[in-house]
Amino acid sequence: MIKYTIKRLLQSLLTVLVVATIVFLLLRMLPNEYYFTEDQVNKLSEEEKNERLRAAGLLDPIGEQLLRYYGGLVRFDFGDSRRIQTGVPVLKVISERFMVSMRLGVSALLIALAIGIPLGILQAMNKDKIPDHIGTAYTVFINAVPPLVSYSLILVFGAHVLGLPSLYSTRRPGISSILPIACLSLASIAHYALWTRRYMVDEMNKDYIRLARIKGMSNRNIMIRHVLKNAFVPLAQYIPASFLLTISGSLLAERFFSTPGMGPLLTDAISRYDLNVVQGCVVIYATLGVIGVFLGDVLMMIFDPRIRLVGKGETR
Amino acid sequence: MKAKRIKMLSLALAATMLLAACGGGGGKTPANNGGNSGSGSNAPSNGGEPIKEIVLWEASGTRELENFFIQNTEQAKDLNVLCNAYAPLLEIDNKGVLQPAVATEWGSEDDGLTWTFKLRDGVTWVDVNGNYKADLTAQDWVTGLEWVLNYHKNAGNNTSMPIAMIAGAGEYYEYTKELEAAEAMALDTTKFLEMVGIESPDKNTLIYHCSKNAPYFDTVATSACLYPLSQALIDELGVDNMVGMSNEQMWYSGPYTITSYIMNNEKVLTKNPAYWDKDASLFDTVTIRMMGDTNLDDQLYETGEVDQCDLEESNLRAIYEDENHEFHDQLVEKRPRKYSYQMHFNFNKLDAQGNPDVNWNTAAANENFRKSIYYGMDLTARWARDNFIYPTHCENLAYTMKGLLYFSDGTDYVDKVIEQLGYPTTNTTDAPRRYDANKAAEYRDKAIEELTAQGVTFPVEMDYYVLARNQAAQDAATVLQNIIESIGDNYIKVNIKTYVASLTKEVTGPQLHSVNNSGWGADYGDPENFLGQELYQDDGAYYSNKYSYINKVDEAEAPELIATYKEFTEMAKAAAAICDDMDARYQAYVDAEVYFLEHALTIPFNYEVVWQLTHVNDYSKMEAMYGCQTYTYKNWETSTEAYTTADYEGFLADFNS
Repeated sequence: MIKYTIKRLLQSLLTVLVVATIVFLLLRMLPNEYYFTEDQVNKLSEEEKNERLRAAGLLDPIGEQLLRYYGGLVRFDFGDSRRIQTGVPVLKVISERFMVSMRLGVSALLIALAIGIPLGILQAMNKDKIPDHIGTAYTVFINAVPPLVSYSLILVFGAHVLGLPSLYSTRRPGISSILPIACLSLASIAHYALWTRRYMVDEMNKDYIRLARIKGMSNRNIMIRHVLKNAFVPLAQYIPASFLLTISGSLLAERFFSTPGMGPLLTDAISRYDLNVVQGCVVIYATLGVIGVFLGDVLMMIFDPRIRLVGKGETR
Repeated sequence: MKAKRIKMLSLALAATMLLAACGGGGGKTPANNGGNSGSGSNAPSNGGEPIKEIVLWEASGTRELENFFIQNTEQAKDLNVLCNAYAPLLEIDNKGVLQPAVATEWGSEDDGLTWTFKLRDGVTWVDVNGNYKADLTAQDWVTGLEWVLNYHKNAGNNTSMPIAMIAGAGEYYEYTKELEAAEAMALDTTKFLEMVGIESPDKNTLIYHCSKNAPYFDTVATSACLYPLSQALIDELGVDNMVGMSNEQMWYSGPYTITSYIMNNEKVLTKNPAYWDKDASLFDTVTIRMMGDTNLDDQLYETGEVDQCDLEESNLRAIYEDENHEFHDQLVEKRPRKYSYQMHFNFNKLDAQGNPDVNWNTAAANENFRKSIYYGMDLTARWARDNFIYPTHCENLAYTMKGLLYFSDGTDYVDKVIEQLGYPTTNTTDAPRRYDANKAAEYRDKAIEELTAQGVTFPVEMDYYVLARNQAAQDAATVLQNIIESIGDNYIKVNIKTYVASLTKEVTGPQLHSVNNSGWGADYGDPENFLGQELYQDDGAYYSNKYSYINKVDEAEAPELIATYKEFTEMAKAAAAICDDMDARYQAYVDAEVYFLEHALTIPFNYEVVWQLTHVNDYSKMEAMYGCQTYTYKNWETSTEAYTTADYEGFLADFNS
């Protein structure tokens, strides 16, 4: 398993490197005009523009630029932000937003797990009865209605009826987090309820469950000891990635509530052509993604003793 | 009972969320926190109390601050905040008149060639917490200008006005450009003082030597290029770290320090206890909430979370048409923003392959064609998108912005232009003053005859670009399309096209536009700053070089157009040469502007006048038609009670009187 783990880690590193390289090359394909602000495009002469591009190393051969970029990656140095926060190191720009997104995201995920999984169990145990219909209606509603609409409903209800702050505030992070967390939880609750129900119903139709029933095992025991345990295995795979990706934030919810998190950072950086921030964000997202997948595999192995992490060609 | 249960359930859910959310909590507090203000807040006239802690808002996508270094930025989104952090030489009052600030006296005795500013004592630099760092002296203006003009330090920001006006400024910029970056970064002010026309003979005296007569130079003192910078701060942070300095590292000399900056969330400005102007009315704090969704401001105003909101057309209509609406009597019209919008023609349009669009270019060079558009656009429907209650309040008939300049008898410069164009200076009807369907038809028929003979095919295709993801801009463009196409059947076909992110890089740079609406706000108080952007064969003329591309037009192909531009340029340059009599100077500029408009070289399009709900008396704010001081939160009259339509009518009447 250690050998396999090392191999997977190396593969993960390679994946991150490939993603970082592709993003780097894609960004270098943009016309150099995008390096400058609107004012600078109008004001600087071609000679001055070239001089500034040269000073920034953007006129060097692409291989040289790439090597310099890799060197920066090794030192966790993504350079300075040029537009989002002029002159501030990218890592600082990102780290300031990191914790906010994670705190909101993890809170929302815990709520989603705490409500979504029991809701799915309840639906499965009462298949085709009223609790199942209510749960299904909720899931369908959440998936059918655009998030912006449901967010707006929550905002109006929260602000007007409950008197909660409409926007996130770092001076009152607790109370101003309620509406963003509620919005972030909605979809996740539906997701976990849907898949818990689905995997449990699948399990309940299997022969070993019928056998357990014939043997006289109680319904409660069947549900807890067999159905839920086995149904949880495929769900478990995605939980680490879900936790890690909370760091990347939610573009829509964070923008809607003006939360200073990671969500809008990447799109802001792209629209303002802050290339260093774009590269920094993509590398971090890619890293979190591959770590999440790896941890998901490990978690599956823990929950299902039949699963062993082995290399290709080896036996379980 | 049922409603109560739902509310209890909601509260329980909210409590769960609260527990889940880490960090401290707090109850809801109204945005405006009334009571006695610390230092002389303007007493509101509507029965409320002055607001001590005001909460305002901005759009996070386009208006978030990116840079704390005032010399290193000329973006409004930075300067709107930073103008509160630095003390200028001069300030503008709520009537648009220059007033002493750090400079107590100033003037020129040689028709604007040499300007002397006498600075007050007792102005200091402080850190973010208001602790003393250094005295503010004349040398700080020298240091600030050196940074602006040092090619390697400053990335070209704020250079254009000093280079155009201050002796030796351009030469120093070129000198530093030739140096190695490290060498230029290490420069102090020794060489700078040798080369550039600025002196600080003592700590209270600052002298600028202009490269030409600049009777308006004192108005430049309200721009970021002439703001102070402490050498001690550079020494403290290191020259390489200046551009990336944060609100906690920078030094302050203005009315506020920026005590909190959370990007895309909120900024908090706190009253600077060491601020020199002890009589000024300041807020204890100014909080600026950043919103991703700019339509949220109405919602936040309703819940008391901000003290002002702008009203989009649909919301405005809903409130206006419902007399029982709680905000119906609180609808107030904002003052016009400082931009004069023009429809600019591109006289050297290219197609996507970079080839000249001969059909358009020939049409645009024809004066009758331009005049048919000039007189044929009834823009009422377009203005109504911003202001459906009084669309003609958005009507713009001149090139220069109204309220910028006044003759010695108090006549507004723009009123003179309007008068000479033959229109009444005030519009007492609902109809636009310039629109004349008969004249338009006359010019259209002449244009068709002349252009057909030149081989132009009709309809003439007019490419008009809007930002792809901006639905409001696309809707407004559709309205404009209908207006222009209604000038004549099969005459002009407006193609609404989109750009992804950058108008300059995607459209105006590659010369793809046929026309473009652009607003110009003055950098300083002289007509030169407006009309100077349209001069022929002048490197500093922004619109000539970046929008109309008149300098690229072959004179042999459009002799009349070029002759008109040359005549206008001569008139404008003759006006600029008059420095000893401001009335004569302004009148000469009025003549040039009237000539420019009568030949429809651009078409005055609109002012931005929208509606709002507010606790702020806009007529108490600095009326900064030039410079960077528009958003200085000083001497504002505010009230815990929202202002009403009647209150604002009174403010306007007082202002006009």
